[in-house]
Amino acid sequence: MRRAVLPAILLLSAAPLAPAKRPAPQILGLRLGMSYEQARSRLAEIGQFKSEDEGQQVWILSHDQRYQYAIVGFDRARRVRYITVLARPDGKPVSYSDVGDLGNATRSGGPGNLRYTWKAHDEIGGYEYVAIAKGKNLRYLDRFAVKRLGGEAEDRD
Amino acid sequence: MSIHTAGNFTAATRFSLQSGILALAAFCFATLVFASTPSSSTLNPVNGSSATWAGSGIAGATTDETTCVDGTDCDVYTITLTGSPANYKGLVLAISISHQNKLNDYDLYVHKGDLTGPVIASSTAGIPETGESVVIDPTVSGTGVYTVHVVDSNVAPGDPYSGVATITTPPADSPAHGSAPTYANYQSPPGLGDNSGEPSIGANFNSGRIMTQAVFDTLQVTFNTNTSPATATWLLKDGPNTNITTLDPILFTDSLTGRTVVSQLFGTTSLSAFTDNDGETYTVSQGGGIASGVDHETVGGGPFRLCTADQLLATPVPCAQLAIRGPLTQYPHAIYYASQDIGDAEMALSQDGGLTYEEAHPMYTLVDCGGLHGHIKVSSSGIVYVPNKSCGSTQGLIVSMDNGLTFAVEPVTRSSPNSSDPSIGIGSKGRVYFGYVGSDGHPHITISDDQGRSWHNDLDVGVPFSIRNTVFPEVVAGDNDRASFFFLGTPSAGDGTGADTGPTPFNGVWHGYIATTYNGGRTWFTVDATPNDPVQLGVICTQGTTCPNGTRNLLDFNDLTVDKIGRVFAAYTDGCITAACIAAGNNPTASHTRLDNDQATKATIIRQSTGLGLFKSQDSTRLQP
Repeated sequence: MRRAVLPAILLLSAAPLAPAKRPAPQILGLRLGMSYEQARSRLAEIGQFKSEDEGQQVWILSHDQRYQYAIVGFDRARRVRYITVLARPDGKPVSYSDVGDLGNATRSGGPGNLRYTWKAHDEIGGYEYVAIAKGKNLRYLDRFAVKRLGGEAEDRD
Repeated sequence: MSIHTAGNFTAATRFSLQSGILALAAFCFATLVFASTPSSSTLNPVNGSSATWAGSGIAGATTDETTCVDGTDCDVYTITLTGSPANYKGLVLAISISHQNKLNDYDLYVHKGDLTGPVIASSTAGIPETGESVVIDPTVSGTGVYTVHVVDSNVAPGDPYSGVATITTPPADSPAHGSAPTYANYQSPPGLGDNSGEPSIGANFNSGRIMTQAVFDTLQVTFNTNTSPATATWLLKDGPNTNITTLDPILFTDSLTGRTVVSQLFGTTSLSAFTDNDGETYTVSQGGGIASGVDHETVGGGPFRLCTADQLLATPVPCAQLAIRGPLTQYPHAIYYASQDIGDAEMALSQDGGLTYEEAHPMYTLVDCGGLHGHIKVSSSGIVYVPNKSCGSTQGLIVSMDNGLTFAVEPVTRSSPNSSDPSIGIGSKGRVYFGYVGSDGHPHITISDDQGRSWHNDLDVGVPFSIRNTVFPEVVAGDNDRASFFFLGTPSAGDGTGADTGPTPFNGVWHGYIATTYNGGRTWFTVDATPNDPVQLGVICTQGTTCPNGTRNLLDFNDLTVDKIGRVFAAYTDGCITAACIAAGNNPTASHTRLDNDQATKATIIRQSTGLGLFKSQDSTRLQP
């Protein structure tokens, strides 16, 4: 009985740490498709507004040990169309495998300019999205982003 | 700890040692500054205080100051000004060099401090001039050390220069010499270029043709100069995949190679093709090198940044790193694709003439600058530039000195962010002309001689026409001291570039203006290039996709280029084309709001008719209308 319980406990405890096959369409509680008001409310909880340009906002993250900035783009309907977080240079490093299963990602670039890209479908929102982890380092990312594909999310400039 | 002897060196150790010796030699060579005779002087704040020196007699050829190697094809002379800047009130530091042979060409750069300091003045006239001179105001630039850098642009042995530095009274302001250019407008024929927002234009030096693209149409334009005024023949030359759909149209012509790249934003990448015969046939390419959601793309190109033979000897390691990003095929030039991405902006290099692109490298993030940017330009020495309308509290210039591998963001001092993309022109010896719309709405242009690290001669070129609202600044340069700056402007005050949602619509008549300098940006001729035919009535909204309908028919930019003989061509979208609209625009008492405008999008080219072109070597051939 003890033999059966222990692995189950280990599995359960390890489950939250294991990378998802594909990254979820959200970062730091900010979700693709979220309304402007909801996003602003969440951003105000985790950071300070820095600047805005062409429907894209830069926020300085206050307490996150991994990421220093969050950049959020809104579409014409004022819903979140992308979220990008920039790693804190002196913070806790985030490895590419922390954000998604690298086996399900497309790897491109190389040393000094590496990126992993996941394509996924959000069942709840009913849209396609991409998740991209980029960095100069072969192990740790510099930035991580999720972005909706299609429709309002890809506004013409 | 272990001590190696010659007998047990491994191959890796030997390589490491050899590399180290080479690096050390390179370091010593690069930092050993070869000087003139004498190598320095001290001048006092007294009218007439002066010094002379003789150049080191070295000969060589360079593309610009960044490609010279001290002691091989450039040398230095140091001047120290004593006292405080206030002591120099009413005085200037005048520096000049001269040589004998009209076939030789020296250039003069003056840095504040040592060679790593900003270039505060330069003189880069070409053959057949036998002298260069600059005037510096120490009350502005300060006292202390100035380093005079004399560069062999093209110097044969046996013609050393001599230099003079003098504290003297300021020379009288010299008005712009010569006469203002004139221009003619060529509208595309009916059925062609009818939907032509945000046009690009390029000149093929080999064929003499002009290529232009806006929205769906790629057009080849041939000017028949057997008649005067010249007539234009417009032909539709669409690429195989660039007339299918469009979000952002871009055309780039490498004037020297004659290759034209056409690109259409398409979802998360671009559809692109290139032609070497002005659109007769195309090769479909990979697209762009960014596949994660692009926006506001730009294509540009020019020489790769590669070391000269002298640089290779002096600094072999960085030169080898540059060479890795050099050409991979017979096509000799680099092509770059850049665009806004998600939270950053990126650039991808093509080493095979635009057929394929590498994985894009980040240029900057939105923490540094706004995501949208202007168009790529490449200097003759291979430095890559992208202007940006908003980098913190100023406009900015993104610079890559290593073929698009790494980037620096340089603030354009004294500028403020604006809603129109700025544009740059690059002179043949590297001078950067940055045209932008100031926070006052006026057309400004400022100059850098050190790759954007410092800026000078910021001027409002709209003063002759009292321009108060400006959009779409576009710049092209030829010789280092010649450039043209095209913009749409109106003397009407008020918010001429907003959404126009107030109770009283903006009332204004917009024309296309071209300002031209023939003396390195000290003075400009500004000309109304559309004097009898307004480009737009009412507002030109520059707030992107948030602009209401009827305010953004011209979209986001125009373009400007120069042909082989230095003649300037501008591509613009004409929003006011009917007789009624034009008549209203020419009637000062009529209403000039967006309600009076045609909201047309007609492709039109401005062609320089007379005056000096942008290449001094062509001055003997007078431009004919």
